[in-house]
Amino acid sequence: MPIIRTRNLCKSFRSVKRETGPAGALRTLFSRKYVEKVAVRNVNMALEAGELVGYIGPNGAGKSTTIKMLTGILVPTSGIIEVDGLVPYKARKENAKHIGVVFGQRSQLYWDLPLIESFELLRAIYAIPRDRYAANLRYFTEVLEMSEFLQTPVRQLSLGQRMRGDFAAAMLHDPKIIYLDEPTIGLDIVAKEAIRDFIRTINEQRGTTVILTTHDLADVERLSQRIILIDRGTIIYDGPIERIKEQYGTHRILVVTMSEPQRSLELPDAELISNEGIVARFRFDRNGVRADQLIRVAAERFPITDVSIEEPNLESIIRRIYIEGYEDPLLERSR
Amino acid sequence: MRFRAEPYIEFARKAFAREATYRMEVLTEVVSLVLRVYLLRSLWTALYAQNVAPFGLPLHSMITYATVALLMSLILEVDGTRSIREKIREGTIATDLMKPISLPMYFFSDGVGQTLVHALLVVPSLIFALFLVHVDLPASPQAALAFAFSFLLGYLVNFFLNFLMNAIAFWTLETFAIQLIVRWVSDLLSGQIIPLTFFPGIFGRILFALPFAAIYSTPLLIYVGLIRPAQYELYFIAQALWLALFGLLSMVVWRAAARRVVIQGG
Repeated sequence: MPIIRTRNLCKSFRSVKRETGPAGALRTLFSRKYVEKVAVRNVNMALEAGELVGYIGPNGAGKSTTIKMLTGILVPTSGIIEVDGLVPYKARKENAKHIGVVFGQRSQLYWDLPLIESFELLRAIYAIPRDRYAANLRYFTEVLEMSEFLQTPVRQLSLGQRMRGDFAAAMLHDPKIIYLDEPTIGLDIVAKEAIRDFIRTINEQRGTTVILTTHDLADVERLSQRIILIDRGTIIYDGPIERIKEQYGTHRILVVTMSEPQRSLELPDAELISNEGIVARFRFDRNGVRADQLIRVAAERFPITDVSIEEPNLESIIRRIYIEGYEDPLLERSR
Repeated sequence: MRFRAEPYIEFARKAFAREATYRMEVLTEVVSLVLRVYLLRSLWTALYAQNVAPFGLPLHSMITYATVALLMSLILEVDGTRSIREKIREGTIATDLMKPISLPMYFFSDGVGQTLVHALLVVPSLIFALFLVHVDLPASPQAALAFAFSFLLGYLVNFFLNFLMNAIAFWTLETFAIQLIVRWVSDLLSGQIIPLTFFPGIFGRILFALPFAAIYSTPLLIYVGLIRPAQYELYFIAQALWLALFGLLSMVVWRAAARRVVIQGG
């Protein structure tokens, strides 16, 4: 029985069509034409309790809209949605008791008050039993190393400290599900690592179900086995990261550094994808051509000083999918 | 779901603590108020020199009226629901909605917490004002009690009026112009600056029938004795009716707003 389940979930927004120019602005005031924009189209997903899933997509793809529907603050246009046996938008407050939310770009802590006061407030909001609250506070203070700044007003905290505070704030009431919206944005590498460790810890030790939306694919690559890719409101991939890597993994990038810039660059069986200054990048399929042959040809044609071959990482794969769209290569081959 | 008061008491306490951190602002408020007391005293004294005791309100009563009105404004000008607008514009209302709380109750308790800080300012403000002006006591203990009760009703009417104004943000996102107009109109028509008894004829009577009168005018006129004990009931009922109407309207508006929360940004 999945803890999160959606069936043909759709959400479209209606907005006033704005016309340009002063005359147009006036016309907009009086005659209202509406434009319908579909943000989420027929989304089907099922998450088991305790899963840690990366929810990935470019800006405006419908990630936040989905999360807002799962948290019950947006009403779907159509479709079925169920979170832990509840319909979120019908039981917003009940649903809210069992979820935690962290936004990397906005804090939910009280700006002017010491961090601990925000925690106290959350204890009251969620009616967390005193002993449970004390135990959780002790646990998170230790794991997130917050003891130094518990008494500091939130506005004086560094971004990394604030994020740790936000994580504790989202977890104090033992939520079953936690939604993370770009939780590592703007953090330095050390702070990012700390946050990733924490996410893994709560997922493994407390069995908290985690939905992680992020642009930093390193987060996902490090943390989750499963990703859901959404583009223009539609889910285009849902499965293990390994599979998507295998499908696209036959591609390699040949990076060529030359002693001087070349105007035209061509190699057989390889596609030039960038040519900036003295560095050119070619994409090739390792099933179609051997790297050493390619390098030999390149050495004959250009004044090469250095070569390297890049294996595709998740980021480059996803970037390609955003641009070209996702096609299942296995299906393509059998056609 | 059973109603729990604890979160809302906490909200009020946090709002109090937050508001109290702005000490400089608090100080300026007292200074500005005392300054305004002085200006109004000069103004009314000059006006009365030309026109002796108009409409049954002698100069000392007028100055009492103006001073008490200013002290009341310390409390009534706190707009606890102003944050609705900011929260909608910045999108932070989304995180609030992700908590198991009633948002209108949150705004109310937050507003009460802020109000309490400003209510504390009434005492020093009054003390300083007393150096400049003489303030009459209410005519009787009964009048004092009636004033307090009427003020409470006025406070609630004012809260819901603010709530309604700020809730417009759910539809237009920009409410500044509407707010400004309502503020001007209400400042003038609520009796905060000029007692409504000064407005002539049918115009004056219309003003008494408007909701703005329920905020400043009724408690103040009770204080200075222009509303007599025999009339209390009638005025209380008028205030209570506005309170009920605005309260109901707020509920309807909130329901509609909650249904169409379109948070900015996808």
